[in-house]
Parts: sequence; structure tokens; C-alpha cells
Amino acid sequence: MRYYDLAIPSHLAAALLPDLILIGGAMLLLLWAVWRRESASHQRGVGVLAIGICVATLVAVLLMMFDRPTASDGPIAVDNFRWMVDVVVLLGTIAAIALGIDDNDRTGTTTAESHVLMLLASSGMMLLGAARDLIIVFLGIELMSVAVYALAGMNRRSERSAEGSLKYFLLGAFSTAFLLYGIALVYGATGTTGLHEIHARVAAHQLNSSPLLLIGIGMLLVGFGFKVASVPFHMWAPDVYDGSPNPVTAYMAATVKAAAFAAFLRVWLEAFPSEFASWHKAVVGLAILTMIVGNAIGLQQRNLKRMLAYSSIAHAGYLLVAIASGTSQGASALIFYLLAYTLATFGAFSVLVVMSRGDAAVTTEDISGLWTVRPWLAVAMTVFMMALMGFPVIGGMGFLAKWYILKAALQAPTPQTTLAVILVLTTVISAGYYLYVVMVMFMRPRADLAPVVGHTGAWTRFVVVACALAILIIGIAPDYTVRYATVGVPRVAPADSTAVAPTAARTAAAR
Amino acid sequence: MLLQHAADAAQAAAHPLSGTAARYLWLLPLLPLLGFVLNGLLSLVPAFHAGPHDPAAAHDEHVPASHDTNASGAHGDDHHAVPRHRFAGLATLIGPGVLLASFALAIAIFLAMLGAGGGEMHAPYIQRYFSWMPVGDLQIDAAFQLDQLSMVMILIITGVGSMIHLFSIGYMRDDPGYPRFFAYLNLFVFFMLVLVLGANYPVLFVGWEGVGTCSYLLIGFWFADKANADAGKKAFIVNRIGDFGFLIGMFLLFASVGSLDFVRVAEVAPTQLVFGGAVVTAICLFFFLGCAGKSAQIPLYVWLPDAMAGPTPVSALIHAATMVTAGIYLIARSSVLFSLAPVASLTVVVIGAVTAIFAASIGLKQWDIKKVLAYSTVSQLGYMFVGVGSGAYVAGVFHLMTHAFFKALLFLGAGSVIYAMHAAYHATGNHEDAQDMRNMGGFRAFMPVTWVLMWAATLAIAGVPPFSGFFSKDEILGTLFLRAQHSTLADASWLGIPGSAVLYICYALGLAAAFMTAVYMTRMMIYTFHGPNRTGAEERKHLREAPWVMTGPLLVLGIFAVVGGWFNLPTLIPIGPVQALDHWLEPVVGAGTLRTTLGTVPEASHSTEYALIGAAVVIAIAGIALALLRLKPDSLVPKAQSPEEHGFEKVLADKYYVDELYDDVIVQPVVRGSRGLLWRGIDVGLIDGLTRLIVQSKDDDAAPGRIPMGGLAARSVGWLGSQLQSGRLGTYAWVLVVGVLFVLGAFTFR
Amino acid sequence: MREFLHSVGYDHWILPALLVVPVLGAIAVLLAGRRRDGVVAEDEVVSGAARAPRAIATLVFALEFVLSLGLWWAFDPAVPGWQQRVDARWIPSWGARFTIGLDGISLMMVLLTTFIMLLAAYGSWTYIRRKTAAYYALMLLLTTGMLGVFMSLDLFLFYSMWEIMLVPMYFVIGIWGGQRRIYASLKFFIYTMLGSLLMLVGIIYIGLAASNGAGVPNFSYDAILANAHLSSSAALWLFGAFFLAFAVKVPMFPFHTWLPDAHVEAPTAGSVVLASIMLKLGTFGFLRLAVPLFPGAAMSDTVRTIVLVLAVIGIVYGALVSLVQPDFKKLVAYSSVSHLGFVMLGIFALTVQSVQGALMVMINHGLSTGALFFLIGMIYERRHTRLIEDYGGIARVVPMFAALLVFVTLTSIGVPGTNGFIGEFLVLLGSFRTFPVFSLVATTVVIIAAAYLLWAIQRILFNPLDKPINEHIPDLNGREMAIMIPLVVAMLWLGVYPAPVLRRMQPAAEQFVRSVESRAALSTASVSEGR
Repeated sequence: MRYYDLAIPSHLAAALLPDLILIGGAMLLLLWAVWRRESASHQRGVGVLAIGICVATLVAVLLMMFDRPTASDGPIAVDNFRWMVDVVVLLGTIAAIALGIDDNDRTGTTTAESHVLMLLASSGMMLLGAARDLIIVFLGIELMSVAVYALAGMNRRSERSAEGSLKYFLLGAFSTAFLLYGIALVYGATGTTGLHEIHARVAAHQLNSSPLLLIGIGMLLVGFGFKVASVPFHMWAPDVYDGSPNPVTAYMAATVKAAAFAAFLRVWLEAFPSEFASWHKAVVGLAILTMIVGNAIGLQQRNLKRMLAYSSIAHAGYLLVAIASGTSQGASALIFYLLAYTLATFGAFSVLVVMSRGDAAVTTEDISGLWTVRPWLAVAMTVFMMALMGFPVIGGMGFLAKWYILKAALQAPTPQTTLAVILVLTTVISAGYYLYVVMVMFMRPRADLAPVVGHTGAWTRFVVVACALAILIIGIAPDYTVRYATVGVPRVAPADSTAVAPTAARTAAAR
Repeated sequence: MLLQHAADAAQAAAHPLSGTAARYLWLLPLLPLLGFVLNGLLSLVPAFHAGPHDPAAAHDEHVPASHDTNASGAHGDDHHAVPRHRFAGLATLIGPGVLLASFALAIAIFLAMLGAGGGEMHAPYIQRYFSWMPVGDLQIDAAFQLDQLSMVMILIITGVGSMIHLFSIGYMRDDPGYPRFFAYLNLFVFFMLVLVLGANYPVLFVGWEGVGTCSYLLIGFWFADKANADAGKKAFIVNRIGDFGFLIGMFLLFASVGSLDFVRVAEVAPTQLVFGGAVVTAICLFFFLGCAGKSAQIPLYVWLPDAMAGPTPVSALIHAATMVTAGIYLIARSSVLFSLAPVASLTVVVIGAVTAIFAASIGLKQWDIKKVLAYSTVSQLGYMFVGVGSGAYVAGVFHLMTHAFFKALLFLGAGSVIYAMHAAYHATGNHEDAQDMRNMGGFRAFMPVTWVLMWAATLAIAGVPPFSGFFSKDEILGTLFLRAQHSTLADASWLGIPGSAVLYICYALGLAAAFMTAVYMTRMMIYTFHGPNRTGAEERKHLREAPWVMTGPLLVLGIFAVVGGWFNLPTLIPIGPVQALDHWLEPVVGAGTLRTTLGTVPEASHSTEYALIGAAVVIAIAGIALALLRLKPDSLVPKAQSPEEHGFEKVLADKYYVDELYDDVIVQPVVRGSRGLLWRGIDVGLIDGLTRLIVQSKDDDAAPGRIPMGGLAARSVGWLGSQLQSGRLGTYAWVLVVGVLFVLGAFTFR
Repeated sequence: MREFLHSVGYDHWILPALLVVPVLGAIAVLLAGRRRDGVVAEDEVVSGAARAPRAIATLVFALEFVLSLGLWWAFDPAVPGWQQRVDARWIPSWGARFTIGLDGISLMMVLLTTFIMLLAAYGSWTYIRRKTAAYYALMLLLTTGMLGVFMSLDLFLFYSMWEIMLVPMYFVIGIWGGQRRIYASLKFFIYTMLGSLLMLVGIIYIGLAASNGAGVPNFSYDAILANAHLSSSAALWLFGAFFLAFAVKVPMFPFHTWLPDAHVEAPTAGSVVLASIMLKLGTFGFLRLAVPLFPGAAMSDTVRTIVLVLAVIGIVYGALVSLVQPDFKKLVAYSSVSHLGFVMLGIFALTVQSVQGALMVMINHGLSTGALFFLIGMIYERRHTRLIEDYGGIARVVPMFAALLVFVTLTSIGVPGTNGFIGEFLVLLGSFRTFPVFSLVATTVVIIAAAYLLWAIQRILFNPLDKPINEHIPDLNGREMAIMIPLVVAMLWLGVYPAPVLRRMQPAAEQFVRSVESRAALSTASVSEGR
């Protein structure tokens, strides 16, 4: 175990190499992007470079991951959880940029900033993955959010886009206030913002029931709840998702969520494990609400983008189940789920990129009978839908992810049977719209005046194929991924010990 | 089969019959089966026009329909003006051929049995072929069992069967379904033989159901007429009601005795079942339900009259001589059980007696010549049940035998009359009812041979000595009278009434039925053969005796109808083999009989016996005389002009409206209930309605575009959510605050 | 024979082979069906595009059947426990293994599956006219799924296979089905999924309960059977979850309403597979999982009575409802509800006879109802109607069809000497020993069954030929005869000489009864005999 003192350059580099690569790259790229005259080719070029930077970062991350340096303490976590989060984030970013290139081509957008903004946002997310101090968390969230606000408004010609981004910004500010307030209260209660210190002091001074601390946690919960778009803090999501360009929407729906959840989990498991009893009820409540409402409203949608938006809300609910279990099992389940979810979401959105015409929303009519014209695209879409639905083998990784969360929920010291049951029941509801998409593609005839499906851009095709293959392959042979998800968890040793009390109950139930 | 048989020979070697002709027992049913297969192929092969490779593509192109098309019995009657079936000759060779062969084999086996000591042969000769249903402690073998009882049945089935097959050659000559007819007939004989040969109840049941199926197919032989198809269906379903009883009986028997083999049951039943106990009574009653179905007793007799829709030979073979007597066989076969259950036996007697008189009374007013015979069959079966019910198993089987002779004869005679009628009608293109006696009359002149034979049969069934029916019927009534005096039945009580009283009443009913029998049979003879001819001047020219292939069998049956009774003469009339049948069947049913008679062999004083016989004879003569005196064939007019009956006569003519009753009380309610309540109500309404509420909304294809999933519950939530999703920032902030309160609340309330 | 099979190591590769061959076949079919010219033929049978796919598919199914046939000899009834067992590591960190094997029960189901699937594919040759390649590929995948369920000895694997079956069937109904196919297919999918997802929770729970303590669950069937100790309340809940999953599939009253729709809308082969095999998966689930894993819960007085009552209701109810169906396919669908009720009765009556009978009914229903659906499909291809009233008197026009339909009907009614009788007789006789009243009520169906089926075929085959359009229906062609004859032979064989089949299933059935009885007795208050 090494201790990284960020004042020492070598340590800093060792701890933050990937982030430095990314941020540095982003800066340089930004200069290059704005320096040259806008043009389609320029936009494409910047995009490719951005992807290159992401790949470089990814390599760095993987190197660090395999070399497994771990830090006992300090504001920046150096552990597998962080690396796993980085991987998920970077994969998402690459996909988003790749889609962005083609989408910009389609819409004739020549501005290249979007790619760079994504890089910046990603740097913020990676910070979130690493944050072991509430201040760092705040930094990361802001860094990420600001970039994403801009991204949401990227599509200047669209009013909905502008409106969405404004809403996002206002509500975002609103919720960030809650987050900050929560941090302040926690600090007030414990006198520190370091996650481990918080836990240590709580344990030391019996602060479990200090109202200050509890309210602080509540505020934090609201803040995170907003970022992960959990009901009832989800209201911004549909409008924003609907307004933004497809790649950005995918990015927000998948990657942003992933990063937020990463921070959420780390804070919860490293700082407040001993308050399990206190926050558990609230988290469970949010989870249930989110699963039910998200899926129920999803049923109403015929605009595929909105449908996916609500489905992403529903998935936030499933992920909250993992958090509610409050164990390392839950953490690894969360990681695994995030990966699967990212792949499936980007896959689905890349199909939307192919299908969309101008600014018009892609509705179920547009894809009806898709099978007859683009069989393989339809098959791929089926895979993504099934993955989001969590269906075995065809849904591949999606099923395993759901399964993993269920397992975590049932394996928790206090088995979350209720959550598990609600999870599967709401999954049945979700089948209503996921299957509907499949049904429309395969069982409805292609309307005569349906627009001809345009040519699929190379990058988009790459994303579709990559996502589909990854989902299927990992779905058949998940063990390798699972092992990394298992080791890649924050240190939650104390959490289990504090939560041991109910274990007796569970074992009693089992015996 | 051969192999298993060979393997089995060793174990059966001890038996006196081993190594004799009996070793070919398995061949007995196999021959008719072979006939069925061959004839079946004959009937299908020419019919088979291989359809086009792609039926969907060819459904409009005109493929010449099978030659079986040309109206096989378009008007459901016994006559068709169409070219003979192209394989008719071959079918003739096979159909009756196989049966004659197995008849010959049967005789050989019978002789072998006589050689092996006949009546003294105590253990049955059993052939095990293979294990049929080996499941845990349930071990059912596919095995045949030959003993005196099954021997009698075999001889009747193959013997009478052969006669009827021969008759059919002429009768069905012009039918396009000629090979199909013989195929079914052979199959029937096969199953009938399985029925009487089976060594355990399940194998018996195979035959039991098999004959039912064949009767279904044969009644509906001219399926183009709805009435026939209905009749067949009715027969099958009503029989299934009986089979339900049979099945339950078997389950109960197995549950209580632990075996279904006849031998085993006969061994253990007396020790394991309490005499007169509830279990054995239940078993016997359930079995009797089966018998009531198969042998057309109240309340399940309704199918038999309709069954006359089938070709007349079928009526003769299945619905008179063999199948309908299966019930009697079953009870005789289960004599051990029934003798253990006096109450059940009493029930059998009562039902039998009531059926006898009930059916006879209906027979009095029927005009359709076959219907008359049908009801007379029901009534005669009632007699047989009285016999086997009262523990006089031999008497029952005896009457079964004689009845097989004279009733088969009567049916075939009626058949040739109808045949003549059709020939005439066809010649003149008349479409009157060819089976209504009001359209006949005076046939004596045209068909002398048939006339003589029919009279013989009539006297036999009426019970006039020395014709066969007299002896068997007399034995039944006589023994019934004796049982009333002294037997387990007499000691038992039925619905509170002392058994002896019940038996005396049944005896009276029996006599009354005998009287009616004499009346309606004579009536039939008079209206058909005597008096003026009402066929019509044109038709009269074409009326003539049937060909020899038909009258020949009639003659043979006639002889047996006359002398058949002498196989089992009462002791007082030692003009031949006295009580031969009693001795012959003693090993099979003796034990049961003895138990019923409390171990003693009741010997009525000669005076009583003379009295009983006298009574029977007087009754019969009286009936005939009455009919001869009262009925005036000259006053009769053809069906077309004949007036409606009224009053009780109409009730009789309409068979007491029992069919209508069943239809209104059982059939219609079931159908309506199933449609209205169960299907429309519960299935579509309740269950689907609920799921529509919770899981799945209305039919998607009805309203395309709407997502069919998500019932009301989910939808309402969704609707609420999407309402809040107004897009106005205020609302969002408001919801956000609510959320915050919710969270904090969750933190404070614990 | 057995020596030869051993010499080629049959036991070691057969089961995986049976699972893999269809997948490879599916790929081959898709490749063969690739349209180079890119034009979509509306009727590929006419255009000839269907030739290659259907031929290849049928060959693959034939191969599959031939391969599986070896099991008949390779399987040794005398040997206890699993046979042809294959065990490979799959997801060690989750304690999920790839374990497959056979006992007497699954052996018969596997053979039935390969047999029916071959006929089903051959029977679709002219029925399926669009997108044939995809159709046959899906049928092949479906086979893998169903075989997988029958074979798998690992609950994780079981669940995956269980769900996998849904998708191909969903597409088969939804794409090649009739008028209301979309509604029917969705209903089918949702109902089944609703049940099975709760089962998933149950599987995870019990897997954890059987875990070795290190937090790694254990899904091996034997392990769970051996060391998953549950409180009676937990067992009850878990049984509930499994029960729902399987009861929907069976389908038991009142979870049966998806079946008529699915059957009516599905293409012929779809209906055949659905009836012959997929419904059996439900009852198989009871035999393999629901009852043995939670004997205490399943055989507790209340639960057992409830299940039996539902089963008996299903038997009578299904029969009565089919009595009044105007659509022949729907009629047969409801009759399936009745028949499967017999299976449930047999299983829960828990005597050797009744369980053996249940197994026989599973096989017989597979053959008879499958044959009925084939025949309906054949006549439907000619007249494009399933309504009984549209026919009448066609026995004269299509004697071959008529003869076959009458025979199959009789087997379905359960006339002795045909397969139908054996199963029902054993079930009723067996259940009469433990639950005489239920058995008595159930037996009344021998009457109703005769009524509805005979009434139906009378209105189709017999009566006057009063509709001119029916006068020129072509009779069955060679291919159709080739489909029906094997079925007829099988039915007769099972009716006359079922002993070999019964002997092969005997050990499994006895083991089932014995273990459930003993363990039910020890884990809860003693099981009442219900006398």
C-alpha cells in the first residue's frame, strides 16, 4: 500500500495519469478545434482525434488497472473501482463521440466543440470515480455538469434543445445546491469531508443519530438522486433527453448516470455504511418509485427517444437496488450493470441515429417492418432491447447484470426480497415497451410511405456491431468481467461489520 | 406374439388344455384383426387420390372426389343404386372368410375342451403374451383366459357372427362402402373376442371399449345422413357413461383387492372383502353402471333404439346377439363379487325387471319393424339381468345364448323383408319408409321361407315350448321364484323393502313382460306377413324372397332358435341333455351361485315347478292369442295416411318422452352452461378481464400503434407521470421539493 | 447396439451434440436463405426460395432425431442417477456450471422433442411461405432451448434455457401467425415471463441457500437438493414462485387463457410444438424442480389440496369449454387444458401409478394433440378456415384425412388399445388410491371428452356434404401421409405395448415418489393421504 501525496509530482502522475492525459488532450484539442475554420471534414477530424485521446487514456487506465496500485487513503482513490468506472466512462465517451461524428454529418453540423466538451465532461466523470472526498465529488460533478449543460444545448437550431438545456441548467443548479448543502452539513457534523475520516469519526463519536449528519446525508441523497435522474428528481430528464441530439442523449442517459452512480456508491459505502439503517428506507423508497414510475411512463411513449429516456430512469431504479443492498456485492453488481447498460443504451441510440430524419423524432411507425429492409439492424436492435429488458442469452449481458443485482439484493445482510420482487415485476412491465419495439420491427409490415432507411455511417456501424457483440459474448462467458467487477469495489469492510446485526435475522430465515 | 406364447407354453404345460388346439387361442381374435387390416386397406387404397404437392396452391383446382362420394346412403337407408365396389369380390373372400376360419378354430378348441373333461376342467387355461402395464405393484399382462364361460361366448360370437357375415354378403352387395363394412365388422369381432378372452379387467375393457367404437362406426356407417351420425355418437357417449362406472369399479377393486386378474380376484375377494360390505357393493354397482350402458338398461338404454340406424346385419350382430350381452358376461364373469353383494345383485334384478317390462310396453306401439325388435332386445336383456342378478348366472347366460339365436334370426328376417321392400321401392322409385310395418303386410305370400323362420323365432322369444326361448326364460323366472324363497338376496333388504318381496314383485313383472313380449311379437308378425299387402300395386310385383346367401344363414339360425333350448333342459323334461349348461359352467360361476343360495342347491317341489312352467306357457299362449284376436291388419292403412295416435298410445309411441327429457335436463343445460357461463363468462369475461386490468390491455391489432402492454394499473400510473411531465419548470421544481420532503421524511421516520 | 454406442463414446458427446447441432443448423439455414438478388419473394414456396432452407432444416432435424434415437439403447434403466451426464465449468464466480444429464423422465421428453420437431419442420414445407429461412432457423433454436430445459441439471442453466425458448416461439407466432397474431404472441410472452421472473428470484434465493458459505451461490441441482435447508415459510414462498412459473406454462386453470389465443393464431407447426412439447415443460418443471425442491411446501395439506382442486377443475372445465368451441383449433387448445390437468393430478396424487400415468399422458398428449393440430393445419391449408361449421360431410371427399382424423380423435378420447388410454387409466387408478374423490370427478371427463371430440368430427367429417366448396378438397398428399403415419404407429405402439417406455421411466418415477414422500414427511407435518 502506497500513500499518494499529490504534492509530489511523481505521486500525482502515478495517481492521476489517465486524468491528466485526458484533460491535457482535451485542452490541446480545444485549441485545435476552434482554431481551424468550421467544416465537415474538420469536425470529423477533431472527432477522430478525440477518440484517439480517449483510447490513449483507456490504455493508461488499463495499465494502471493491471498493475494494481492501491492507496490506503487520501482524497483521490487509487483502486480497481475507480479503474472500472473509468473504463465504463471512456467506452461510453468513445461511443458517444463516434456517434456524434456521424450524427453531425447527417445534420450538417460542422461545429467540432461537442467532441471536446465530451472529453471535458468525461474528465469530470473520471474524477467522480476517483473522488474520495466530498469536495472532489463536488468538483467532479460540476466539471461534468457544466460540460453536459453545454452539450445539451449543442443543437442551436432546435428550440427544444435550448429549452431542455436551460431546464437542465436551472434544475441542475437547484440540486447542486442541495448537494453542497448536504456536504456542508456533513462537514458540520463530522468536521471533515474525507469519506474515510467521516466514517471513522462517526464510529468514534457515536454520531449515528446526529440530526445534522442525517439531514446532510438526506441532502446528498437528493443531489445524487437528481444526477442519476431517480424519481421524483427525474423531471428534467425526459425533456432534456428529448431535446438533445441522439449521441448526447445517449451520453447523458448512460455515461453521466454511470459516473454519478459511481460517486454515489463510493460515498455511501465508504462514508455512511454505519448509517445504513438511516438511509436504507429512503433509498429503498426512491428505488421502488423509480422502477415503477419509470417503466409505467415508458409504456406510454411512442417516441423511441422518450421511451429510452424513461427506460433509463427505470434502470436508475434497478441500480438503486444495488446501492440499497449496501454491500460490496452490490458495488460489483453496480459496476457490471453499468457496463451492460452503457453498451445496450449506446447500441439502441446508434440505431436511432441511423433511423432519424432531420429533427423529427423517431417513432414506432418509422421502424415498423424494419426487418424487411435492414434485417441485421433489426436483429441488433432486438439484442439491445432484450439486453435492456434483461433477457437471457439474447439479451446476453443485460440478463446477467439484472441477475447480479438480484443476487446482491438477496445476498445482502438484510435480504432485499421486496426490492427483488418489485424489480422483476417492473421488468415485466418494461417488456411491454421493449418487446413492442421488437414486435413493430418484425411483425408489422413496412409502411409504403415510410422513409428509406439511409446509409449507416462507418462509425455508427462500428458502435452497433461492437455493442452487440460485446453484449452477446460477455453474456455467454461473463466470468472474466465478473472477476474484475468483483475485485473492483470500494473498501466497504466496515459497512458489513456494522450491518452484521441483521445477518442473524437472515440466517434465521434461511435455517 | 408367437414367441411369448412359446415361452409361455412351458408354464402353462401343467394345464390339461396345453398342447391341444387351445394352443392356437391367440389366433382366434387375430384372424378377424387380419381381416380388418386387409379390408381396411381395400377400402382406402382405391379411395386414396394423393393430393397435390402444395395443397394451398391447388385448393381451387378440381380434383375428382373419391368414388365413395356418390351418396353412400344418401337417404340413410339400406339401399344404393350404384356400381359395386371394385374390390367387392376380394372383400367377400376376406371378410366372412376369416370369421369362418376362426369359427372352425373355435369348434376345434371346443372339442379339445370336451376332450380335456369339459365341465370338470377347473382352472382356466391362461396364455400370457407380454406385460402390458407394469407399474409398481400394478402388473397388468396382455393375457387371454379360456374357460367354459368364454368358450360359450366364443362359439356364439364366431358362430352367429359367421352367419351374419354370410348374410351381409347379399345384403350389402351393392354398397359402395362394401369393404369398409366388412373391415368394421371384422374389427368388431376381434374386439368382441378380446372382450370374452381377456384374463383381467383391463384387457376385457379393451374389448369392451373396442366393440363400442366399432358400434359407433357401424351405426354411423351411412354417415352422410345426420340422423345416423347422431345415433352413432349418442351410442358412444351413452356407453362412455357406463364405462365411467366400469373404470371406477376397476379402481375401487384394485384399491381394495390389489389386483385386476380374474383368477387372483376370485381367490382373494371372498377373504378380503366383507360380505355385503360397502366396498364390494360399490364395486358391483359401478360395474353394473357399465353393464347398463353396454347392455342398454334403464337409465342408459336410450342409445339402442337409435342404433337401429345402422345396417340391419349390424343390428343383428352387435345390437342383438353379441355386444349388448357383454354386460351379462361381465356380471357372470364377476359372479364372485356380485355374490358377495346381495344389495347390488338386488339392484341388478330390479333394474332388469323394470327395463324388461318398460321396453316391452314401448315395443307394443312401434311401427318401425326394427324398432320393435330393438325394444324387444332391451326387454330381453332385462330378463338376462334378472337372471344373473338373482345369482342364476347360468340361466342368464343360457338366455343370452338362445336370445342370440332367435334375435339374430328375427333381425336378419326383418333385414330380408326390408331388403325386399327396398328392391321394390327402388324399382318403382318410391321413397316411402321401407321399414314401417304399415307399408308392409301380406309378405307371407312373397317370402314364405322368411315367414316360416320368423314365426319360429317369434314363438321362441314368446316362450312357447319347445322352442329355445321357452326353456331359458322359464329357467330365469323359475330360479327367480326360488331365490325369492331362499337366498342371500331374499334375506337382504333393498331400500328398506325386504329382498324376498322385491324378488316376488320382479317375478310378477317378468311374467307381465313375457305377456307383452308375446303380444308385440305376434303384432309384428301379423302386420308384416299377414293381412292384405299395403306396399302398393306397382311395388307388389317386385317383392320376392331374398337370395340364398341370405336365406341360408336364416335357416341355420332357425334350427338353433328351435332346438337351442335343449342344451339345458330342466330336470323334469329329460328329453335330452339335462342341465348340460349348468354342469358346463359350474367351475366358473358355481361358487357364486352357491354363495347366493346359502350353500344349498335349492330343489323346488315338482308341483311348484309344474306350476311355474304352466304359468309361463299360459302367459305366452295368452299373449299370442290376444294379439291374434284383437289386431285387425285389414283395418291398417299405409304410414302416409295413418292417423296420429293419442292418449297413452301416443306416450308409448313416443317412448315415454325419455329422450326429450334427457335432452332438456342434461344435454342442453350442460352445453348452454359451458358456453354462456364457463367460456364467455369465466374465461373471456373474468380471467381475461382481470389480466387486461393488470397485465395486458386490449387486442393490439385492433388499435395499432398503441402499446398493447400495461393494463389499467400500469397505465394509470404512467398517465399520472406523463401529466406531471408538463414541461413547465414550476411543476418540476414543485415535484422536486416534494421529493426532498419525502427523503427527509424517510430519514426522520424510522 | 449398446456396445457400439459405447465404442463411439456416445454417452460423452451425445447431449452437447444435441444442443449444438440445431444451432449450427440454424446458421446453415440462414446462409442458405440469403437472398443474393435482394428481392423479397412474397411466396417463397412458389418462387422456390424456400427449397434450400426447408430441405436443410428438415435434414438437420432428421440428423438430430437419429442421434437422439441412440439414447433409447444407451440409457440403462437399471442404473440409478443421471446418465450421459456432462459437467463443465461456466461461471465459477457465480457458482453456475454447465451441467446436463438425463434420467428416465427427461429421456422420454428428449426423444419426444426430437421426434415431434422433425415432423413439425417437415409439416411446414408448404404452410410457411414467407421468410422461410428465418422460420426454420428459429425452429432449430427453439429445439436447442427445449432440449436444454429437459437436460439441464444446473438451475442457472435451466433458467437461461427456459427463457430462451420463449423468443423463437414468440417470433414464430408473431410473424407467421394468423389474424390476431401480435396480440396472441405478446400475451404468450408476457404471461410466461411474468411467471418465470419470479422463479428467477426463487432460483437465486435457493442457490444462495445452498451456497458453500463463501458467498458463492451453488446452482447445481444435486447440491441444492442435498444441502439447501429452508424454513417451511421460505419453502412455501419459493414454491409459490416456481408454481406460478410452471402453472402458467402447463397451463393450469386459471392461468390458461393465453393458450387458446396462442394456439389459434400460431402456424400449424407452432401449435404442434406448443402443445406437444412446450406445455410439457411446465409439468416437467413440477416433476424436476417445484415438487422435489420444496416437498414440504408442495405436499403440505393446504397447498396439495389447492393444486389438486385446480387440476381437477382444469380437467372438467377444459373439457366443458371445448365442448362449445366453434373453432376446431380452439377446441383442441382447451382439450389440452383438460389433458394437462390429468398430468397435474397424477403428479400431486403422488403414487407410482399416477406419476407414471402423468408421464404417459405427457407423451400421449404430445403425440395425439400434435397429430390433431397437424390434421387441422392440413385441412386449413386447403380451405383456409378452422371453423367447424364451414365443413361437414367431407369424409367422402378426403377419405384418407377422415380415417386419420377419426383414429387420432379416438386416441385423444383415450380408447383402450391406443396410447391415450394408458396414461389416463394409470393416472386415475393411481390417484384413486390417495384421492378417490378427485379421481372420481376427473373420471367423468371420459364422457365429456368423447362428447366434444365426436361432436366436432361429426360436424366436420360426417353429416350431409352440403357446402359445394367442400366437394373438391384434395386428399392428403404423400408428404402429409409421411408425417401422419409415424405418429399413428407411435400411438398404436404406446397403446398396445407401452411396457418398454414405462420400464425406462419407472426408476425415475419411483425415486420421485419415494424421495418426495420421505422428505415431505421430515420437513413438515406428515403429508396426509387425503383419504
